Formats: sequence, C-alpha cells, structure tokens
Amino acid sequence: MPLKHAKWITGTISLLLVFPVAVGLIGTLLPAFAYFPPLGEYNLSFTPWYNLFAQGEFYASLKLTLITGIAAPLLALWFALSLLAWGYQRPFFQKIEALLSPILAIPHAAIAIGLLFLLSPSGWLVRLFSPWLTGFDRPPNWITVQDPYGVSLILALVIKEMPYLLFVMLATMRSIKARESLQVGQALGYSRFTLWRKVLIPQLYPIIRLPIFIVVAFSLTVVDLALVIGPNTPSTLAVTLLRWFNDPDLSMRLMASAGAISLMLIIVAVLAGWEVAHLSFSKLSRAERSNGKRFGLTDNLLRLGVVLGLLALLNAFVALALLPIWSLTRRWRFPDALPSQWTWDNIERATPLLMDLTLNTLTIALIATLMACVISLVMLETKRHSSKVSSLSKPHVFDWLIYVPILLPQIGFLFGLHVLLIYLNLNGDLCAIIALHLMYVLPYVYLTLKGPYLAYQEEYLLQANRLNHRPWRNYLVVKIAMLKPAIFTAFAIGFSVSIAQYLPTLIAGEGRYSTLTTEAVAQAASGDRKQVGSMAMLQAFFPIMVFWLAQFIPPRWTRWRLVLKNLFSRRNTSCSV
Amino acid sequence: MLSVNAFSLSLGDKTLIKDLSFEIADGQVLSIMGPSGIGKSSLLHFLSGSLSANLTTTGEAFLNDEALHTKATQDRKVGLLQQMPLLFPHMSITENLMFAIPADIHKQERINMAQNALEKLGIPDKANALPKELSGGQQARVALLRTLLSKPDYLLLDEPFSKLDPALRRDVRAFVLNEIRQANIPALLVTHDPEDAKAMEGECLELGVME
Repeated sequence: MPLKHAKWITGTISLLLVFPVAVGLIGTLLPAFAYFPPLGEYNLSFTPWYNLFAQGEFYASLKLTLITGIAAPLLALWFALSLLAWGYQRPFFQKIEALLSPILAIPHAAIAIGLLFLLSPSGWLVRLFSPWLTGFDRPPNWITVQDPYGVSLILALVIKEMPYLLFVMLATMRSIKARESLQVGQALGYSRFTLWRKVLIPQLYPIIRLPIFIVVAFSLTVVDLALVIGPNTPSTLAVTLLRWFNDPDLSMRLMASAGAISLMLIIVAVLAGWEVAHLSFSKLSRAERSNGKRFGLTDNLLRLGVVLGLLALLNAFVALALLPIWSLTRRWRFPDALPSQWTWDNIERATPLLMDLTLNTLTIALIATLMACVISLVMLETKRHSSKVSSLSKPHVFDWLIYVPILLPQIGFLFGLHVLLIYLNLNGDLCAIIALHLMYVLPYVYLTLKGPYLAYQEEYLLQANRLNHRPWRNYLVVKIAMLKPAIFTAFAIGFSVSIAQYLPTLIAGEGRYSTLTTEAVAQAASGDRKQVGSMAMLQAFFPIMVFWLAQFIPPRWTRWRLVLKNLFSRRNTSCSV
Repeated sequence: MLSVNAFSLSLGDKTLIKDLSFEIADGQVLSIMGPSGIGKSSLLHFLSGSLSANLTTTGEAFLNDEALHTKATQDRKVGLLQQMPLLFPHMSITENLMFAIPADIHKQERINMAQNALEKLGIPDKANALPKELSGGQQARVALLRTLLSKPDYLLLDEPFSKLDPALRRDVRAFVLNEIRQANIPALLVTHDPEDAKAMEGECLELGVME
C-alpha cells in the first residue's frame, strides 16, 4: 500500500483503539465509586463497594466463577496438549485437524444449546439408554445441566476452548521444530509422550501464553454460554452482574460497576496465579526432564487426556447434530431415540422471524468484518513501514493494544461504553452495534492476517512497480491478490466472531435489534426446543458456510477467473469476425 | 549509454566500494564479479533507486548524459531481473507479460506483443498456463521478456542464472544476451560465476576486498 504519513495513521488508529477502552474503563470505574451523573450521583464514595461486599450472592457467584474459570482452561489445555502429543503427524489426526475450524467457527451459544439438548434429563443421552437400560419412561429428576457446580458450563467451555488451543498449538509446531525433535528423541529411545512432556511442551508454553490468557479471561467472564448452560441462583459472577446492571432499580448499577471492577481484578489475579503456578511447576519438573528416563508414569496423564479430549470432541459433534434434528421434529416423545414424526413446519412457522434475525445478523457481521479487514490491512501496512525504519520484529504499539478489548471483561466495560452511546444519542442504533462488533472482530482479523501479511515477499510488489508504476493498482492486483487465502481466512474468522457476539449486540442495540445469537440465548430457557433448534442451527450454519467458502474459493479463484475471461474473449472475437 | 562516476559505498564506517567508475554502451553487458558482501547488489540498488537506509553512497550515474541518481525509482525506467523470476503466481503467462506492457499502447497491439513474446519462447500454447506449470528455464525467460516488454532504458541483472540447472544455464544466458542486443540497451550483470561473465561477451570488473 503506497501509504503516506505512516506516523499519523499509527497515531490515529492507536487513539481509535484506546478511546473506547478508556471510555469503557472510566465509565465502569467512576460509577464503582458512586460518581454517576445520569443518576444524579456526584459524590465519590465507597458505598457501592460496601453494598457489594454485603451481598451474599457476590461470594457465591465469585466462587462459581473461580471454579469454572480456572477448571475449564486447565482441562482444555490438558486435553489439547494430550491430543497434540498423541496425534501430531499421524495421518488420521489430520482429519481431526480439518474438523477443528468448523468447531472454532460455531458460535458458542449454538454449542451450548446443542449440549443442552444432549445432556439435559430429557436429552438425547438419557433417551439413548432409556428405557432398556435405565428403565425410565419419563425424564429423571436429575440436575445434569445448569448444575449448581457449573460442571456443564465447564464442559461447554472446554469444548469451545480445546479446539482453539489445539489450533494455536498446531500453528507453532514448525517454529519449535517439533518433527525434528521427535525424530531425534525417538532415536534416543524416548517414548512419544515422554518426549512431549520433557522436550516439546516446555518450549511450546511460552509461545502460546497469550492465547492461554485469552482463554482464561474468556472463561472467567463469559456471559452467553453461562446464561444457557451455566448454573443459576447463584449464577457465575458475570451473569449476576448482568442481572444487576439490568435491574429496574438503577442504583444497582453502582454496585454492579464495583462488581465489574472486581471481576477485572480477579482476571489479573488469576493470570498472575497461573503464571506463578507455571513457574513453580516448571522448576519442579526441570530435574525430571534430564533424568534420562525414557518412559514415565505421568505419560498416563497425557493418555487419559487423549481419551477425555476425544470424548469432549464427540460430545460437540453429537450436540451439533441435534440442532437440525430438533428443528425438523414434529413429535419426539421421551424415551424415543429419534423423532417419530418429522416436519418442515417448525422452520416454516419461524421463517418470518428467522429471516428478520438472519438479515440483522448478516448485515452486522458483513459490515463489521469488511471494515475490520480494511483497517487490519492499513494497520499492518503501517507496521511494516515503521518496522522497516526501526528494527524488525520489534513489537509495534498495535500488537499489544489490539489485545486489550479481548482481555477485558465485556460485562461492565460495555455498560460503561453504553453511557457514552447515550450521550452521543447512538444508543439502539445499528451503527453503534456494528462499532461494538468491530471492536471485538478487529483483534481476531488483525492477528490472523498478521503472520501471512508480514511474511509476504515484498519483492513481487517491488518488481510490479518497476514494470508499471501504478502503486495503488499494483497493491490490489499483486499483493492483495496474492494474499487472498489469508484474507479470506481472516474474513471467515472475523465473521464467526461477529455472529457469536451476544452482549455487544444486546447493549448497543438495547433490544431494538435482535440477532440469531441474542434470540437463541434469550429463548434457550423457554423450552421450545423446535424453535431454539432452528435458530441455533442457522447460527452455526453461516459461519461454517463462510469458513468452508474461505477454504474452497482461493485455490480455485485464478482457474475460474481465467476460464471466465477466455469465455468472454472468445465471444468477443466471434462477434467481431 | 549508462555511466557511473566515482561510486563509493560504505556501511557504517566500513568502506566497501571506493571510486568505482565505468561505462556501458547500448546493447552491451558489463559483468561485475566479487565475493558476497562486497556490495555488488548495493550497486544495483543504487542504480535502481532502492538502496536501504543504513548504506551511504557517493557518486553519480548517468543515462545518455542525463542524471539518474537524482531521480525517483519510478522515473528511472529501470528493468531489474533477480534470482527469483518473480512471475505473479495468480496470473497467467499472458497476463504476466501484458502486465509489463505500457498502458498507453492499444489493446490489440498489447495482445500481439504478448503473443509474439510467447512465440519467441516457443510456448504459444502456454498462454493461459500459470507460472508454476512452466519449467525453471522457461520461467527465467518469461521473466526476462516481461522486464523487456516494460521498455526499460537500462537493465540490471542480479545473478539471474544462479537458481537454474547448470545444463539450462547456457541456453538461458545466450537467450538473455541475444534479447539485450535486440533491445539495444545497456545492461549490468552481477554474478559469482565467471562463466556468466564470459558468456555475456563483454567487459568484466572484479571487485576485491578493501583493506
């Protein structure tokens, strides 16, 4: 991109990135200390904190948040490492790898709803074993989902996070020379799992630290998943805060803001604890790494992780398969394993609503993602420019700024931004929803594009500019065209991130614009499985479709383009003759 | 005629090239040889106007008595051929060639020029093929013709034969020399290989390590 004024652009974009974060933070921090002009509160005080600490629900929610928010990433990391150690470079594992991106693309609410259909007392799992094994002819009186300990929430989080971590780890395999290390180690007589434990995982961890942090922050603060499948009364802290923020008694907002600030502090504390735990763990295991033993008992930990990880993956697929089944069901009495009567009626009946929701969802996702792609390209180009001047590989201001929105808890932060939207008279506006989506889509698009964009062999573009000096055109027809696969993938990821957004849509839209996600989450508890199934299915369908297109189109693009071009030129010549 | 006057190059306080002067007549190839790191490629970058910022140079370059070193890259009309053919992988061979042909030429004429080039290469059937479907030698030749189709005023060659099979090199060298003579422009070749220099049938300058 023949950019001028790279410094100005860097400054402007940095400001645009910082501005909403700063507003959101201040908009949470001030009410937490009882300064909230919209309610006529002008006196700074600790009252919201006293109120917060006096709430029994705060402690119960906090406990649940800590249990689910720490257990889920730990399990996800354990399973992902085990699966990788077990399957890396084996042919059948490549099939599992190919299945990762669809799971990644599916909004978590859809997975949670599928899990609800699978695991609830009247769900498919119990049906499968009833009545021949269990003897049930009506749903048992168990609490299997939304259990008070958050086990089902942990499972849903693991299903969402394990593929992500696996995906991130696979991308680092080349940089730590995994294949070569395994060959050398196996020649020395080490077993595969021991090699992973002693050689590869210690190298892998520092590279994937940030993605792990993102996963931890997500687990501690997730709202939509917890609403669908998490415990209620008490619920996790993020959900409790959401209820307080939405309380008709507006003064609850002050206490909720204090809660949101404490949630941020909890993230920091958990991440710090996580690092300390990792440090002491690696210190303890350092001696063991070089003790020369080729096998170890702890290898079995990885073996167990493989089994559990595969079970979690299986769970995810069955859960997803249940979405279309429910949306096509007319009659499905309890112990039957499959519906006895099928119908399109549910979908037909819901069509006007679904069309409306789909239209909103796609409009927001397409605009936000396209904007994110363009902004990411500009950011990466300015980064390339400035790193050319100073040293290479030096982290640019964008590289850490971009993570801030993902690491901050949406709850609280977004309510702080909402106050700004009200001042700007943008509350409930489609533009506001798109802007908030952009804030969450942009980091993922930027991070996906970054590697391929900076690795691009600039010589092609330089040669193009020597051959004909039209820099803007050459940037598009040479550089962008050659980066097509990366841009398509980044678009697909951004698109799926936008589709999955729940709180940003809800808060900026003030309920005036519903998307497939907000409606599916709102109705998940309604028990109308046929309608909820249709919504969740559509919610999962679009991202998978876009992901598939992003893989399918780029390798065929040039061939198709040339075929079309030849068709036209042949027609032209035959006309002129 | 391309002439360079008192060219010096230094990296930090280390002088790499001092007071180099030469002239290249139209249709001639001057070869420059020397060990790597001596600044051969930097000389090419000086002439093409894409020198990296940490190198300091002095000296002048003229093309037919017109100063080159004061012009921006895009105004120099320079052709550069490198080790990699850098054919655009997402464009057909014809499109790669047409990309270089100046836009002010009429469309039908542009198509004819590309077709002529393909026939010269003996691959008229590969018009719609993608670069990766061509052999290494064919790619190198397409890259040269593409550069020449952009009508450069002078040509810079940065070890364009080094990635080729030894058996192919002789043919490609002869092809390159022949095309340069037909285009009748001055060319500067930078190389490691004395055979390259010999095949260009022109003057050869050897750069040594400065003490």
